[in-house]
Amino acid sequence: MFHYEKKLQFPVKIATPNPKLAAFIISQYGGPDGELGASMRYLSQRYSMPYAEAKGLLTDIGTEELGHMEMVAAVVHQLTRNLTDEDIQKNPAFAPYFVDHTTGVYPTAASGFPWTAGSIQSTGDVIADLTEDLAAEQKARLTYDNILRLSDDPDVNNVIRFLREREIVHFQRFGECLRLCKEKMDARNVYLTNPAFDKIQPRG
Amino acid sequence: MLIENNGARPVSAAPASCPDNNGTLPSCAGLAVPYVPFQQNNPQKYSQSEALSNGTLFPGLNLPFRLAVDGSSLPTTPLAELQALEFVVLELGIYLDTHKDDAEAFKLFKQFSAMEKAAKAAYESKYGPITKEAAAAGDSYQWLSDPWPWNFAQNEVK
Repeated sequence: MFHYEKKLQFPVKIATPNPKLAAFIISQYGGPDGELGASMRYLSQRYSMPYAEAKGLLTDIGTEELGHMEMVAAVVHQLTRNLTDEDIQKNPAFAPYFVDHTTGVYPTAASGFPWTAGSIQSTGDVIADLTEDLAAEQKARLTYDNILRLSDDPDVNNVIRFLREREIVHFQRFGECLRLCKEKMDARNVYLTNPAFDKIQPRG
Repeated sequence: MLIENNGARPVSAAPASCPDNNGTLPSCAGLAVPYVPFQQNNPQKYSQSEALSNGTLFPGLNLPFRLAVDGSSLPTTPLAELQALEFVVLELGIYLDTHKDDAEAFKLFKQFSAMEKAAKAAYESKYGPITKEAAAAGDSYQWLSDPWPWNFAQNEVK
């Protein structure tokens, strides 16, 4: 089960509202490589993992991603506070989001596509899932790179740099986890069976 | 070897011939499966405030985009100090998931976990509950009191 702690993982304190920037950053909430997808991916994949290291890592990183989701939402919320009708009218980047959601936080990509489980996988296969996770961390990392290209707000960039670095650490851990899982599988042919499904492990 | 508790500079434990950002691959790695070198046991570590600021406890994994060589600037608030302690516990927990036999890291994990617990209790007694458990220990129900984490104010007043 999960318990809520009434604090963020990292301080979010955005002095200057900027709805245009919020319209980009929402992608890391509900976009194809955002934090909602990351947490759902890892917290779903863990059930079929046959090895303790993979169960533990997917649980811990999946839980951390829930905290990142909250941080991204906090950034969007603070960037869109105290707005007026006029602020929206002169902001073509934010107006399409506003017409559907006002200043509510909604899981969508910056391009307007709502969050979909179609952007994640849970295959029930150890190597396929962990390889997807390596890719997922890279895709999130580059999205944060692109946000840093678009943002000149130091308060926002503080938070984005932190989140970006977490993707790099997670990539490292998923890579190590894949190595640990592989060591428990057939030494000569790691693809001999799927240990999450096949009950009998043939000896090569 | 161990980071100091008062925000001092990190002390390297890595031998000069093998910096902690160079992991190892097996001499004959199998084909057709991804390999990421293991981070070696007892890697160099930042202090807790540097760790939170850089987004990692480990200098060897700190790979910033473009010119951002310095970490993020953090507010000097009791909340940020608590967040830094909690971050070290989280980072070590994830590290231990793939390095469960690193005794030094486990020792540090225990030490920081105890520090975080004490710091959280001290914070809650002064600024209000972060957990339901602390809310239940109060004289009245303070869970609903401002500020909420996503509000600008939580980082403003404390």
